[in-house]
Amino acid sequence: MGPDAASPIYPLALTAEAPGARSGFLVRTWRVGRRRPAALAGAVVVLLFGAMALGAPWIATTDPVRTDWSQIRKAPTWAHPFGTDDLGRDGLSRVVWGARISMQAGVFSILLAIAIGVPVGLVAGFYRGALDQAIMRLTDAWLAFPFLILAIGLVTILGPSLTNATLAIGLGATPTYIRLTRGLVLSTSEEDYVHGARALGAGDVRLMARHVLPNIVSAILVQATVAVPTAIIAEAVLSFLGLGVQPPAPSWGTMLNAAQQFLESAPWMAYWPGLAIFMLALSFNLAGDGLRDLLDPRDY
Amino acid sequence: MTEFLVRRAFISAVTLVLISLIVFTGVRMIPGDPARVMAGTDADAAGLEEVREKYGLHDPIPVQYVRWIGLALRGDLGESIRTRQSVAWTVAIKLPITVELACLALLIALALAIPAGVIAAVRRNTAWDVLASAASLCGVSIPNFWLGIMLILLVSVRLGWLPASGFVPLFEDPVANVKRMLMPALVLGTALAAVLMRQTRNAMIEVLSADYIRTARSKGLAGFAVVVRHALRNALIPVVTILGLQMGALMGGAVVTESIFVLPGFGRLIVEAVFTRDYPVVQGVVLITASSYVLINLLVDISYTVLNPRIRIGGGVDGA
Repeated sequence: MGPDAASPIYPLALTAEAPGARSGFLVRTWRVGRRRPAALAGAVVVLLFGAMALGAPWIATTDPVRTDWSQIRKAPTWAHPFGTDDLGRDGLSRVVWGARISMQAGVFSILLAIAIGVPVGLVAGFYRGALDQAIMRLTDAWLAFPFLILAIGLVTILGPSLTNATLAIGLGATPTYIRLTRGLVLSTSEEDYVHGARALGAGDVRLMARHVLPNIVSAILVQATVAVPTAIIAEAVLSFLGLGVQPPAPSWGTMLNAAQQFLESAPWMAYWPGLAIFMLALSFNLAGDGLRDLLDPRDY
Repeated sequence: MTEFLVRRAFISAVTLVLISLIVFTGVRMIPGDPARVMAGTDADAAGLEEVREKYGLHDPIPVQYVRWIGLALRGDLGESIRTRQSVAWTVAIKLPITVELACLALLIALALAIPAGVIAAVRRNTAWDVLASAASLCGVSIPNFWLGIMLILLVSVRLGWLPASGFVPLFEDPVANVKRMLMPALVLGTALAAVLMRQTRNAMIEVLSADYIRTARSKGLAGFAVVVRHALRNALIPVVTILGLQMGALMGGAVVTESIFVLPGFGRLIVEAVFTRDYPVVQGVVLITASSYVLINLLVDISYTVLNPRIRIGGGVDGA
């Protein structure tokens, strides 16, 4: 699943060192963006969420964890546009601060998966043979654990917290990158330019780092934009189940957990955190589709 | 073909052994005395000694693994710390609920995805195609627990059409059972439908451009017959493979869905076990889920080798 690993990936404007490549990339971004407004909108919304995560202290002026017993489960007003929760906390500032937790969990877990998966996949695909077989069988076994059940299992061992949830999600996503990288390396290392570099006396490390890796970066990047929303949802699920971020920290998942008990009396508690997860995941997916177009010159 | 099947079965066997090693190691990584982990914090000295004896905890680690896997193969996965019932029994009574939920979800997903995927492919680049793709994208992006909460809010709280939670056994009152299963199944089926729709669409587009479709059309066959009898049958092969691979996501989704709709199934069992630190149950559930995933995908691959002459003659697809 994801982008088909079998498709050859061509050298890209992004990695080329020719002068003017940078402006070429910008021009291409503009052209693809104009042809695919949905992808552009997705990218903009992702950036907005990113800004919200970084600027949370300035955007949300109300303390997200300050309880106010006179404001318990109040419907949306001008003072509290998203209403208040069961402890009288401001819904809007909790949603804004929640972006920080979601982004953190989504991005760092996938970075972890890439940091482990890409080198391992690179080595497996490059050297092949028994090492490759051993790595791939282990990857198969790792993939047999349903993503969420593996994450739950790991959190059970490590204990519930944001860091451990991120770690668990990252480790759960790792085998996908091992597989993807290995597949890409298998096809790339048969390219003439790799054979050429080898004939010129380039060592294994140089071949991998300078000739193979730059040509598979874009496919990995595209896979990452599809994986981040999955990771964001996974964090929300773990927190929703009580296995991720612990209260009173404002995570969209824990907010929905609290909201579930007050569906009849305070439905607004359930609207916004869920809508935020949905919007962020949708935008990442839209932007990812656009990025695939942008990085794949065949379509261009 | 036999060679392919043997190779495929061998790889699955290796995967199963590795899965058991991962689970065994995982449980050993839980901080504290392994006997205490397996017997629970309430166990007395005699109880701890009994567990040490059963799993041979005085022996070297490899011996312990062999003993543990031997017991597991005979269906002995230990006993729940919380209820003192055997893990195998606990799972066996919870499993039918989850299987029913998964089957209903699968039915809903197929009923939505196949027609939508076919229409999107046949009417490619029309409003229908865009609509189906947008729906699919939303289906992948929507967190299923939020969808569940919103459905409860709309269907149960506002409209009062269906009960929000609770469970009635199928054989006690089938109508009441299905009424309570409908919303959870829809929630669980949505993400699956989104993935399947995309696969159906892509596979159909590829098949529809094949020569035999042109032949069928030029023979004068009606468009509908060509699409259903010639194209769809061939397009469904990759869809079935994806279906097997999606079983894991379905299991994961069941955990969340059962928690929201308070269904006493397999998924809820694991969450409760995690909260009560009922490690034998967590271990058993994780082991059973991963093993069944491997076995289901082995069966999918075998059945599709048998059904598809191209693979049978060609000697099989590479990899696992």
